[in-house]
Amino acid sequence: MPGDHRRIRGPEESQPPQLYAAGESEAPAPRDPARLRPVYARAGLLSQAKGSAYLEAGGTKVLCAVSGPRPAEGGERGGGPAGAGGEAPAALRGRLLCDFRRAPFSGRRRRAPPGGGEERELALALQEALEPAVRLGRYPRAQLEVSALLLEDGGSALAAALTAAALALADAGVEMYDLVVGCGLSRAPEPAPAWLLDPTLLEEERAAAGLTVALMPVLNQVAGLLGSGEGGPTESWAEAVRLGLEGCQRLYPVLQQCLVRAARRRGAAEPL
Amino acid sequence: MASVALSEAEKVYIVHGVQEDLRVDGRGCEDYRCVQVETDVVSNTSGSARVRLGHTDILVGVKAEMGTPKLEKPNEGYLEFFVDCSASATPEFEGRGGDDLGTEIANTLYRIFNNKSSIDLKSLCISPREHCWALYVDVLLLECGGNLFDAISIAVKAALFNTRIPRVRVLEDEEGLKDIELSDDPYDCIQLSVENVPCIVTLCKIGYRHVVDATLQEEACSLASLLVSVTSKGVVTCVRKVGKGSLDPESIFEMLETGKRVGKVLHTSLQSILHKEESLGPKRQKVGFLG
Repeated sequence: MPGDHRRIRGPEESQPPQLYAAGESEAPAPRDPARLRPVYARAGLLSQAKGSAYLEAGGTKVLCAVSGPRPAEGGERGGGPAGAGGEAPAALRGRLLCDFRRAPFSGRRRRAPPGGGEERELALALQEALEPAVRLGRYPRAQLEVSALLLEDGGSALAAALTAAALALADAGVEMYDLVVGCGLSRAPEPAPAWLLDPTLLEEERAAAGLTVALMPVLNQVAGLLGSGEGGPTESWAEAVRLGLEGCQRLYPVLQQCLVRAARRRGAAEPL
Repeated sequence: MASVALSEAEKVYIVHGVQEDLRVDGRGCEDYRCVQVETDVVSNTSGSARVRLGHTDILVGVKAEMGTPKLEKPNEGYLEFFVDCSASATPEFEGRGGDDLGTEIANTLYRIFNNKSSIDLKSLCISPREHCWALYVDVLLLECGGNLFDAISIAVKAALFNTRIPRVRVLEDEEGLKDIELSDDPYDCIQLSVENVPCIVTLCKIGYRHVVDATLQEEACSLASLLVSVTSKGVVTCVRKVGKGSLDPESIFEMLETGKRVGKVLHTSLQSILHKEESLGPKRQKVGFLG
Protein backbone atom coordinates (compact mmCIF):
# COMPACT_ATOMS: atom_id res chain seq x y z
CA MET A 1 0.00 0.00 0.00
CA PRO A 2 1.51 3.36 -0.88
CA GLY A 3 2.39 5.35 2.24
CA ASP A 4 0.77 3.21 4.93
CA HIS A 5 1.42 5.51 7.86
CA ARG A 6 -0.25 3.30 10.41
CA ARG A 7 2.04 0.31 10.12
CA ILE A 8 5.25 1.89 8.92
CA ARG A 9 6.13 4.57 11.40
CA GLY A 10 9.07 6.90 11.20
CA PRO A 11 11.45 7.27 14.14
CA GLU A 12 9.80 8.93 17.13
CA GLU A 13 12.54 11.41 17.66
CA SER A 14 14.53 13.07 14.97
CA GLN A 15 17.26 15.67 15.10
CA PRO A 16 18.64 18.09 12.57
CA PRO A 17 22.15 17.21 11.31
CA GLN A 18 23.59 20.55 12.55
CA LEU A 19 23.65 19.21 16.12
CA TYR A 20 26.38 16.79 15.14
CA ALA A 21 28.42 19.34 13.20
CA ALA A 22 31.99 19.56 14.43
CA GLY A 23 33.47 22.93 15.32
CA GLU A 24 31.85 26.29 15.99
CA SER A 25 30.19 28.23 13.25
CA GLU A 26 31.46 31.74 12.54
CA ALA A 27 30.83 34.55 15.03
CA PRO A 28 28.40 37.29 14.01
CA ALA A 29 30.04 40.21 12.21
CA PRO A 30 30.71 43.34 14.31
CA ARG A 31 28.20 46.09 13.65
CA ASP A 32 26.86 49.40 14.87
CA PRO A 33 24.96 48.58 18.09
CA ALA A 34 22.10 50.93 17.28
CA ARG A 35 21.42 49.89 13.71
CA LEU A 36 17.90 48.86 12.73
CA ARG A 37 17.45 46.46 9.84
CA PRO A 38 15.43 47.86 6.93
CA VAL A 39 11.74 47.06 7.43
CA TYR A 40 9.11 46.22 4.82
CA ALA A 41 5.54 46.56 6.08
CA ARG A 42 2.29 46.17 4.26
CA ALA A 43 -1.24 46.34 5.67
CA GLY A 44 -4.50 45.11 4.20
CA LEU A 45 -3.36 42.09 2.24
CA LEU A 46 -5.67 39.28 3.38
CA SER A 47 -9.16 39.26 1.93
CA GLN A 48 -10.71 37.07 4.63
CA ALA A 49 -9.57 39.01 7.65
CA LYS A 50 -11.00 42.28 8.91
CA GLY A 51 -7.48 43.66 9.17
CA SER A 52 -4.11 42.20 8.36
CA ALA A 53 -0.46 43.14 8.15
CA TYR A 54 2.79 41.60 6.94
CA LEU A 55 6.12 42.72 8.34
CA GLU A 56 9.57 41.76 7.20
CA ALA A 57 12.71 42.87 9.02
CA GLY A 58 15.94 41.24 7.89
CA GLY A 59 15.18 37.53 7.96
CA THR A 60 12.11 37.76 10.23
CA LYS A 61 8.78 37.46 8.45
CA VAL A 62 5.51 37.81 10.36
CA LEU A 63 1.92 37.75 9.15
CA CYS A 64 -0.83 38.99 11.42
CA ALA A 65 -4.61 38.91 11.04
CA VAL A 66 -7.37 40.49 13.13
CA SER A 67 -10.99 39.42 13.20
CA GLY A 68 -13.93 40.73 15.14
CA PRO A 69 -15.50 42.28 17.04
CA ARG A 70 -17.49 39.14 17.76
CA PRO A 71 -19.82 38.41 20.67
CA ALA A 72 -17.69 37.27 23.55
CA GLU A 73 -17.92 33.75 24.87
CA GLY A 74 -18.36 33.16 28.55
CA GLY A 75 -20.99 34.64 30.81
CA GLU A 76 -21.08 38.31 31.54
CA ARG A 77 -20.65 39.48 35.04
CA GLY A 78 -22.80 42.32 36.37
CA GLY A 79 -22.24 45.99 35.51
CA GLY A 80 -20.55 48.65 37.57
CA PRO A 81 -20.23 52.41 37.32
CA ALA A 82 -19.65 53.57 33.76
CA GLY A 83 -16.22 54.86 32.87
CA ALA A 84 -15.50 58.27 31.39
CA GLY A 85 -16.36 59.04 27.79
CA GLY A 86 -19.37 56.72 27.54
CA GLU A 87 -17.29 53.58 27.77
CA ALA A 88 -18.69 50.35 29.11
CA PRO A 89 -18.23 49.59 32.82
CA ALA A 90 -15.20 47.52 33.69
CA ALA A 91 -16.95 44.17 33.78
CA LEU A 92 -18.47 44.61 30.33
CA ARG A 93 -15.31 45.72 28.54
CA GLY A 94 -14.28 43.92 25.38
CA ARG A 95 -11.58 41.29 25.34
CA LEU A 96 -8.51 40.88 23.25
CA LEU A 97 -7.56 37.29 22.45
CA CYS A 98 -4.08 36.87 21.06
CA ASP A 99 -2.56 33.84 19.47
CA PHE A 100 1.06 33.44 18.48
CA ARG A 101 2.15 30.60 16.25
CA ARG A 102 5.42 29.57 14.72
CA ALA A 103 5.45 27.81 11.37
CA PRO A 104 7.12 24.41 11.83
CA PHE A 105 9.93 25.43 9.45
CA SER A 106 10.55 28.85 10.96
CA GLY A 107 13.52 28.00 13.19
CA ARG A 108 16.58 25.81 12.97
CA ARG A 109 14.76 22.76 14.35
CA ARG A 110 11.36 21.64 13.19
CA ARG A 111 8.69 22.41 15.75
CA ALA A 112 5.23 20.88 15.35
CA PRO A 113 2.39 23.41 15.74
CA PRO A 114 1.16 22.88 19.32
CA GLY A 115 4.29 24.63 20.45
CA GLY A 116 3.48 24.39 24.13
CA GLY A 117 4.58 26.82 26.80
CA GLU A 118 6.68 29.18 24.72
CA GLU A 119 3.90 30.12 22.29
CA ARG A 120 1.44 30.66 25.15
CA GLU A 121 3.94 32.90 26.89
CA LEU A 122 4.50 34.98 23.76
CA ALA A 123 0.74 35.18 23.13
CA LEU A 124 0.30 36.50 26.66
CA ALA A 125 3.10 39.01 26.06
CA LEU A 126 1.34 40.15 22.87
CA GLN A 127 -1.92 40.61 24.76
CA GLU A 128 -0.29 42.56 27.59
CA ALA A 129 1.43 44.87 25.14
CA LEU A 130 -1.61 45.52 22.91
CA GLU A 131 -4.22 46.03 25.65
CA PRO A 132 -3.06 49.52 26.72
CA ALA A 133 -3.40 50.74 23.14
CA VAL A 134 -6.85 49.39 22.23
CA ARG A 135 -10.00 51.16 23.44
CA LEU A 136 -11.66 47.99 24.65
CA GLY A 137 -14.31 50.00 26.49
CA ARG A 138 -15.84 50.81 23.09
CA TYR A 139 -16.49 47.15 22.34
CA PRO A 140 -18.64 45.96 25.24
CA ARG A 141 -19.27 42.23 25.46
CA ALA A 142 -17.23 41.66 22.32
CA GLN A 143 -13.91 40.02 21.60
CA LEU A 144 -11.22 40.86 19.11
CA GLU A 145 -9.02 38.04 17.89
CA VAL A 146 -5.46 38.73 16.89
CA SER A 147 -3.41 35.90 15.47
CA ALA A 148 0.24 36.25 14.60
CA LEU A 149 2.02 33.70 12.43
CA LEU A 150 5.79 33.66 12.35
CA LEU A 151 6.89 32.43 8.95
CA GLU A 152 10.62 32.75 9.46
CA ASP A 153 12.59 33.60 12.58
CA GLY A 154 15.51 35.87 11.84
CA GLY A 155 15.83 37.43 15.28
CA SER A 156 13.53 39.72 17.35
CA ALA A 157 10.46 37.67 16.43
CA LEU A 158 8.27 38.92 19.29
CA ALA A 159 9.01 42.57 18.48
CA ALA A 160 8.09 42.05 14.83
CA ALA A 161 4.89 40.23 15.82
CA LEU A 162 3.91 43.11 18.15
CA THR A 163 4.40 45.70 15.42
CA ALA A 164 2.53 43.61 12.85
CA ALA A 165 -0.36 43.03 15.28
CA ALA A 166 -0.69 46.76 15.97
CA LEU A 167 -0.68 47.50 12.21
CA ALA A 168 -3.33 44.83 11.64
CA LEU A 169 -5.53 46.28 14.39
CA ALA A 170 -5.21 49.75 12.87
CA ASP A 171 -5.98 48.31 9.42
CA ALA A 172 -9.11 46.64 10.83
CA GLY A 173 -10.38 50.02 12.00
CA VAL A 174 -10.30 49.08 15.69
CA GLU A 175 -10.32 52.18 17.90
CA MET A 176 -6.89 52.67 19.41
CA TYR A 177 -5.14 55.32 21.48
CA ASP A 178 -1.89 54.87 19.59
CA LEU A 179 0.10 52.36 17.55
CA VAL A 180 2.38 49.93 19.37
CA VAL A 181 5.91 49.57 18.03
CA GLY A 182 8.11 46.71 19.18
CA CYS A 183 11.90 46.47 19.28
CA GLY A 184 14.19 43.62 20.22
CA LEU A 185 17.58 43.82 21.93
CA SER A 186 20.20 41.34 22.96
CA ARG A 187 23.33 41.49 25.05
CA ALA A 188 26.46 39.90 23.69
CA PRO A 189 28.30 37.43 25.97
CA GLU A 190 31.23 38.32 28.16
CA PRO A 191 34.21 39.75 26.21
CA ALA A 192 32.20 42.81 25.12
CA PRO A 193 28.86 42.94 26.96
CA ALA A 194 27.14 45.61 24.91
CA TRP A 195 23.43 45.78 24.09
CA LEU A 196 22.66 45.35 20.40
CA LEU A 197 19.48 46.70 18.85
CA ASP A 198 17.43 44.47 16.54
CA PRO A 199 19.60 41.33 16.76
CA THR A 200 19.80 38.71 14.02
CA LEU A 201 19.14 35.05 14.82
CA LEU A 202 22.86 34.33 15.20
CA GLU A 203 23.31 37.21 17.67
CA GLU A 204 20.22 36.13 19.61
CA GLU A 205 21.39 32.55 19.95
CA ARG A 206 24.74 33.57 21.34
CA ALA A 207 23.30 36.26 23.56
CA ALA A 208 23.65 36.31 27.33
CA ALA A 209 20.37 38.21 27.69
CA GLY A 210 17.46 39.31 25.52
CA LEU A 211 14.86 42.05 25.85
CA THR A 212 11.76 43.10 23.88
CA VAL A 213 10.31 46.58 24.38
CA ALA A 214 6.96 47.82 23.08
CA LEU A 215 6.34 51.56 22.94
CA MET A 216 3.36 53.77 22.11
CA PRO A 217 5.37 56.49 20.31
CA VAL A 218 3.05 59.49 20.45
CA LEU A 219 2.02 59.00 24.09
CA ASN A 220 5.58 57.94 25.02
CA GLN A 221 4.32 55.13 27.21
CA VAL A 222 5.86 51.68 27.45
CA ALA A 223 3.15 49.18 26.59
CA GLY A 224 5.16 45.99 26.99
CA LEU A 225 8.45 44.79 28.39
CA LEU A 226 9.81 41.26 28.48
CA GLY A 227 13.41 40.38 29.11
CA SER A 228 15.52 37.68 30.67
CA GLY A 229 19.05 36.38 30.86
CA GLU A 230 22.29 37.24 32.59
CA GLY A 231 21.67 40.94 32.16
CA GLY A 232 23.74 42.44 34.85
CA PRO A 233 23.10 45.45 37.06
CA THR A 234 19.96 47.57 36.78
CA GLU A 235 21.88 50.35 35.01
CA SER A 236 22.58 47.96 32.16
CA TRP A 237 18.88 47.04 31.82
CA ALA A 238 17.88 50.73 32.01
CA GLU A 239 20.33 51.54 29.22
CA ALA A 240 18.89 48.70 27.14
CA VAL A 241 15.33 49.99 27.64
CA ARG A 242 16.44 53.49 26.53
CA LEU A 243 18.10 52.09 23.42
CA GLY A 244 14.99 50.07 22.63
CA LEU A 245 12.65 53.06 23.04
CA GLU A 246 14.82 55.12 20.72
CA GLY A 247 14.70 52.31 18.15
CA CYS A 248 10.89 52.24 18.38
CA GLN A 249 10.68 55.99 17.76
CA ARG A 250 12.85 55.62 14.64
CA LEU A 251 10.62 52.86 13.30
CA TYR A 252 7.36 54.81 13.68
CA PRO A 253 7.45 56.90 10.43
CA VAL A 254 7.76 53.72 8.32
CA LEU A 255 4.60 52.30 9.89
CA GLN A 256 2.71 55.57 9.42
CA GLN A 257 3.54 55.52 5.70
CA CYS A 258 2.47 51.90 5.44
CA LEU A 259 -0.96 52.66 6.91
CA VAL A 260 -1.42 55.71 4.67
CA ARG A 261 -0.61 53.62 1.59
CA ALA A 262 -3.05 50.90 2.69
CA ALA A 263 -5.80 53.47 3.21
CA ARG A 264 -5.16 54.94 -0.25
CA ARG A 265 -5.31 51.48 -1.81
CA ARG A 266 -8.59 50.78 -0.09
CA GLY A 267 -9.97 54.17 -1.12
CA ALA A 268 -8.98 53.58 -4.75
CA ALA A 269 -10.60 50.12 -4.80
CA GLU A 270 -13.94 51.25 -3.27
CA PRO A 271 -15.76 52.78 -6.27
CA LEU A 272 -16.03 49.39 -8.09
CA MET B 1 -5.87 36.12 39.72
CA ALA B 2 -8.61 36.15 42.32
CA SER B 3 -10.92 39.08 41.94
CA VAL B 4 -12.16 41.25 44.75
CA ALA B 5 -15.09 43.64 44.57
CA LEU B 6 -14.02 47.17 45.40
CA SER B 7 -16.18 50.25 45.28
CA GLU B 8 -14.93 53.46 43.65
CA ALA B 9 -14.64 55.13 47.06
CA GLU B 10 -12.39 52.34 48.36
CA LYS B 11 -10.19 52.61 45.28
CA VAL B 12 -9.83 56.36 45.71
CA TYR B 13 -8.99 55.82 49.39
CA ILE B 14 -6.24 53.35 48.55
CA VAL B 15 -4.81 55.48 45.73
CA HIS B 16 -4.70 58.67 47.81
CA GLY B 17 -3.14 56.81 50.72
CA VAL B 18 -0.38 55.39 48.54
CA GLN B 19 0.53 58.87 47.24
CA GLU B 20 1.28 59.78 50.88
CA ASP B 21 3.33 56.57 51.42
CA LEU B 22 0.64 55.17 53.71
CA ARG B 23 -1.09 51.93 52.86
CA VAL B 24 -4.32 50.54 54.27
CA ASP B 25 -2.58 48.23 56.74
CA GLY B 26 -0.12 50.92 57.85
CA ARG B 27 2.90 49.73 55.80
CA GLY B 28 5.12 52.01 53.76
CA CYS B 29 5.43 51.59 49.99
CA GLU B 30 8.52 49.39 50.27
CA ASP B 31 7.53 47.15 53.19
CA TYR B 32 6.69 43.49 52.93
CA ARG B 33 4.02 41.80 55.02
CA CYS B 34 5.16 39.31 57.63
CA VAL B 35 6.66 36.29 55.83
CA GLN B 36 6.71 32.86 57.43
CA VAL B 37 8.99 30.26 55.85
CA GLU B 38 9.32 26.65 56.87
CA THR B 39 11.31 23.96 55.06
CA ASP B 40 11.14 20.18 55.09
CA VAL B 41 7.38 19.99 55.57
CA VAL B 42 6.69 17.08 53.21
CA SER B 43 8.64 13.90 53.85
CA ASN B 44 8.39 12.21 50.44
CA THR B 45 10.26 14.91 48.59
CA SER B 46 13.94 15.66 48.18
CA GLY B 47 13.22 19.15 49.48
CA SER B 48 10.16 21.19 50.32
CA ALA B 49 9.16 24.55 51.69
CA ARG B 50 6.04 26.37 52.73
CA VAL B 51 5.72 30.14 52.65
CA ARG B 52 2.97 32.28 54.11
CA LEU B 53 2.93 35.93 53.05
CA GLY B 54 -0.14 37.58 54.57
CA HIS B 55 -3.03 35.53 53.19
CA THR B 56 -0.98 33.94 50.40
CA ASP B 57 0.01 30.35 51.09
CA ILE B 58 2.42 28.44 48.84
CA LEU B 59 3.77 24.90 49.15
CA VAL B 60 6.72 23.77 46.98
CA GLY B 61 8.05 20.25 46.69
CA VAL B 62 11.26 19.33 44.83
CA LYS B 63 11.81 15.80 43.63
CA ALA B 64 15.14 14.71 42.19
CA GLU B 65 14.93 11.98 39.58
CA MET B 66 17.44 10.54 37.17
CA GLY B 67 16.95 11.34 33.54
CA THR B 68 18.77 11.83 30.24
CA PRO B 69 20.41 15.18 29.62
CA LYS B 70 19.02 17.42 26.87
CA LEU B 71 20.74 17.08 23.48
CA GLU B 72 22.01 20.67 23.32
CA LYS B 73 23.43 20.54 26.86
CA PRO B 74 24.91 17.08 27.42
CA ASN B 75 26.88 18.01 30.56
CA GLU B 76 24.09 19.53 32.56
CA GLY B 77 21.04 18.50 34.49
CA TYR B 78 17.81 20.49 34.27
CA LEU B 79 14.90 21.88 36.25
CA GLU B 80 11.24 21.43 35.38
CA PHE B 81 8.59 23.65 36.91
CA PHE B 82 4.94 22.86 37.36
CA VAL B 83 2.46 25.16 39.04
CA ASP B 84 -0.92 23.98 40.22
CA CYS B 85 -3.54 26.53 41.22
CA SER B 86 -5.83 24.45 43.37
CA ALA B 87 -9.51 25.21 43.75
CA SER B 88 -9.00 25.91 47.43
CA ALA B 89 -7.06 29.06 46.56
CA THR B 90 -10.10 30.83 45.17
CA PRO B 91 -13.35 29.49 43.63
CA GLU B 92 -12.32 30.88 40.22
CA PHE B 93 -9.69 28.15 39.96
CA GLU B 94 -12.18 25.32 39.97
CA GLY B 95 -11.75 22.79 37.16
CA ARG B 96 -9.53 24.16 34.39
CA GLY B 97 -9.84 27.77 35.55
CA GLY B 98 -6.45 27.94 37.19
CA ASP B 99 -4.55 26.47 34.24
CA ASP B 100 -3.81 29.76 32.50
CA LEU B 101 -2.43 31.34 35.63
CA GLY B 102 -0.46 28.17 36.37
CA THR B 103 1.20 28.18 32.94
CA GLU B 104 1.97 31.89 33.23
CA ILE B 105 3.71 31.40 36.57
CA ALA B 106 5.58 28.32 35.33
CA ASN B 107 6.80 30.21 32.25
CA THR B 108 8.00 33.07 34.44
CA LEU B 109 9.91 30.61 36.64
CA TYR B 110 11.57 29.09 33.56
CA ARG B 111 12.54 32.57 32.48
CA ILE B 112 14.15 33.59 35.72
CA PHE B 113 16.22 30.40 35.87
CA ASN B 114 17.15 30.65 32.20
CA ASN B 115 20.76 31.70 32.69
CA LYS B 116 24.06 30.13 33.60
CA SER B 117 24.59 31.62 37.02
CA SER B 118 21.30 31.00 38.88
CA ILE B 119 21.89 27.38 39.64
CA ASP B 120 24.93 25.22 38.93
CA LEU B 121 23.45 22.71 36.49
CA LYS B 122 26.82 21.06 35.85
CA SER B 123 26.80 19.67 39.38
CA LEU B 124 23.62 17.80 38.46
CA CYS B 125 25.36 15.77 35.77
CA ILE B 126 26.11 12.12 36.59
CA SER B 127 27.67 10.97 33.36
CA PRO B 128 27.71 13.20 30.27
CA ARG B 129 25.15 12.37 27.59
CA GLU B 130 23.73 9.48 29.56
CA HIS B 131 22.54 10.33 33.04
CA CYS B 132 21.79 13.47 34.91
CA TRP B 133 19.61 14.68 37.74
CA ALA B 134 16.30 16.26 36.77
CA LEU B 135 14.81 18.41 39.51
CA TYR B 136 11.04 18.58 39.31
CA VAL B 137 9.90 21.65 41.20
CA ASP B 138 6.16 21.49 41.87
CA VAL B 139 4.42 24.55 43.23
CA LEU B 140 1.04 24.35 44.88
CA LEU B 141 -1.03 27.45 45.43
CA LEU B 142 -3.03 26.82 48.56
CA GLU B 143 -4.42 30.27 49.18
CA CYS B 144 -4.35 33.41 47.07
CA GLY B 145 -3.96 36.69 48.95
CA GLY B 146 -2.14 38.88 46.45
CA ASN B 147 1.50 39.02 45.37
CA LEU B 148 1.76 35.45 44.12
CA PHE B 149 5.02 35.75 42.18
CA ASP B 150 7.07 36.98 45.12
CA ALA B 151 5.81 34.30 47.49
CA ILE B 152 6.38 31.55 44.91
CA SER B 153 9.94 32.63 44.20
CA ILE B 154 10.75 32.74 47.94
CA ALA B 155 9.27 29.27 48.38
CA VAL B 156 11.22 27.88 45.40
CA LYS B 157 14.47 29.28 46.78
CA ALA B 158 13.79 27.82 50.23
CA ALA B 159 12.85 24.44 48.77
CA LEU B 160 16.01 24.31 46.63
CA PHE B 161 18.05 25.21 49.71
CA ASN B 162 16.43 22.29 51.52
CA THR B 163 16.92 19.81 48.65
CA ARG B 164 19.20 16.88 49.37
CA ILE B 165 20.22 14.85 46.32
CA PRO B 166 21.62 11.38 47.08
CA ARG B 167 25.17 10.75 45.95
CA VAL B 168 25.51 8.21 43.14
CA ARG B 169 28.49 6.61 41.53
CA VAL B 170 28.77 5.17 38.05
CA LEU B 171 30.60 1.86 38.01
CA GLU B 172 31.89 0.43 34.79
CA ASP B 173 32.51 -3.29 34.63
CA GLU B 174 34.73 -5.28 32.21
CA GLU B 175 32.26 -5.41 29.33
CA GLY B 176 31.86 -1.63 29.42
CA LEU B 177 28.37 -1.82 30.89
CA LYS B 178 27.63 1.04 33.27
CA ASP B 179 25.84 0.57 36.53
CA ILE B 180 24.59 3.20 38.92
CA GLU B 181 25.20 2.71 42.59
CA LEU B 182 23.43 4.64 45.28
CA SER B 183 25.42 5.29 48.40
CA ASP B 184 24.37 3.22 51.45
CA ASP B 185 24.26 6.07 53.89
CA PRO B 186 20.89 7.90 53.53
CA TYR B 187 22.44 11.14 54.78
CA ASP B 188 25.23 11.16 52.20
CA CYS B 189 23.80 13.85 49.94
CA ILE B 190 24.83 16.76 47.83
CA GLN B 191 23.34 20.10 48.62
CA LEU B 192 22.70 22.77 46.00
CA SER B 193 24.15 26.21 46.36
CA VAL B 194 21.34 28.75 46.25
CA GLU B 195 23.56 31.84 46.52
CA ASN B 196 22.56 33.10 43.08
CA VAL B 197 18.96 31.90 42.93
CA PRO B 198 16.89 34.99 42.16
CA CYS B 199 13.74 36.19 43.89
CA ILE B 200 10.94 38.03 42.17
CA VAL B 201 9.89 41.48 43.37
CA THR B 202 6.57 42.71 41.94
CA LEU B 203 6.14 46.47 41.90
CA CYS B 204 2.56 47.63 41.29
CA LYS B 205 2.02 51.09 39.91
CA ILE B 206 -0.74 52.86 41.85
CA GLY B 207 -1.27 56.48 40.87
CA TYR B 208 2.17 58.08 40.62
CA ARG B 209 3.96 55.77 43.03
CA HIS B 210 4.73 52.08 43.10
CA VAL B 211 4.24 49.62 45.94
CA VAL B 212 5.95 46.37 46.84
CA ASP B 213 3.97 43.35 47.99
CA ALA B 214 0.48 44.44 47.04
CA THR B 215 -2.59 42.86 48.63
CA LEU B 216 -5.53 41.79 46.45
CA GLN B 217 -7.26 45.14 47.00
CA GLU B 218 -4.18 47.09 45.98
CA GLU B 219 -3.72 44.92 42.90
CA ALA B 220 -7.29 45.79 41.88
CA CYS B 221 -6.35 49.51 41.96
CA SER B 222 -3.22 49.07 39.91
CA LEU B 223 -3.30 48.94 36.13
CA ALA B 224 0.27 47.91 35.46
CA SER B 225 3.04 46.21 37.40
CA LEU B 226 6.67 45.47 36.79
CA LEU B 227 8.05 42.09 37.77
CA VAL B 228 11.78 42.18 38.48
CA SER B 229 13.82 39.12 39.31
CA VAL B 230 16.86 40.00 41.46
CA THR B 231 19.67 37.89 42.88
CA SER B 232 21.32 38.56 46.22
CA LYS B 233 24.14 40.46 44.50
CA GLY B 234 21.74 42.89 42.85
CA VAL B 235 21.94 41.31 39.40
CA VAL B 236 18.65 41.43 37.52
CA THR B 237 17.80 38.27 35.58
CA CYS B 238 14.30 38.96 34.33
CA VAL B 239 12.11 41.99 33.69
CA ARG B 240 8.47 41.78 32.69
CA LYS B 241 5.55 44.18 32.51
CA VAL B 242 2.26 42.68 33.71
CA GLY B 243 -1.23 44.10 33.45
CA LYS B 244 -3.53 46.01 31.15
CA GLY B 245 -2.02 49.46 31.47
CA SER B 246 1.13 51.11 30.21
CA LEU B 247 4.13 52.46 32.11
CA ASP B 248 6.07 55.65 31.76
CA PRO B 249 9.75 55.08 30.88
CA GLU B 250 10.88 57.12 33.91
CA SER B 251 8.72 54.98 36.22
CA ILE B 252 10.35 51.87 34.81
CA PHE B 253 13.81 53.14 35.71
CA GLU B 254 12.65 54.06 39.23
CA MET B 255 10.95 50.70 39.69
CA LEU B 256 14.09 48.85 38.63
CA GLU B 257 16.11 50.69 41.27
CA THR B 258 13.49 50.05 43.97
CA GLY B 259 13.26 46.41 42.96
CA LYS B 260 17.01 45.97 43.29
CA ARG B 261 17.09 47.67 46.68
CA VAL B 262 14.14 45.73 48.11
CA GLY B 263 15.39 42.49 46.56
CA LYS B 264 18.77 42.73 48.26
CA VAL B 265 17.16 43.24 51.66
CA LEU B 266 14.77 40.35 51.02
CA HIS B 267 17.67 38.06 50.14
CA THR B 268 19.72 38.86 53.23
CA SER B 269 16.81 38.21 55.58
CA LEU B 270 15.83 35.01 53.74
CA GLN B 271 19.38 33.65 53.80
CA SER B 272 19.78 34.37 57.51
CA ILE B 273 16.48 32.70 58.37
CA LEU B 274 17.24 29.63 56.27
CA HIS B 275 20.67 29.21 57.83
CA LYS B 276 19.21 29.68 61.29
CA GLU B 277 16.56 27.03 60.65
CA GLU B 278 19.15 24.60 59.33
CA SER B 279 21.40 25.14 62.33
CA LEU B 280 18.59 24.04 64.64
CA GLY B 281 19.17 20.58 63.25
CA PRO B 282 16.79 17.62 62.77
CA LYS B 283 15.50 17.88 66.36
CA ARG B 284 13.82 21.25 65.81
CA GLN B 285 10.17 21.74 66.56
CA LYS B 286 8.17 21.53 63.33
CA VAL B 287 5.23 23.88 63.10
CA GLY B 288 3.60 22.23 60.11
CA PHE B 289 0.15 23.11 58.90
CA LEU B 290 -1.57 23.83 62.18
CA GLY B 291 0.71 26.55 63.50
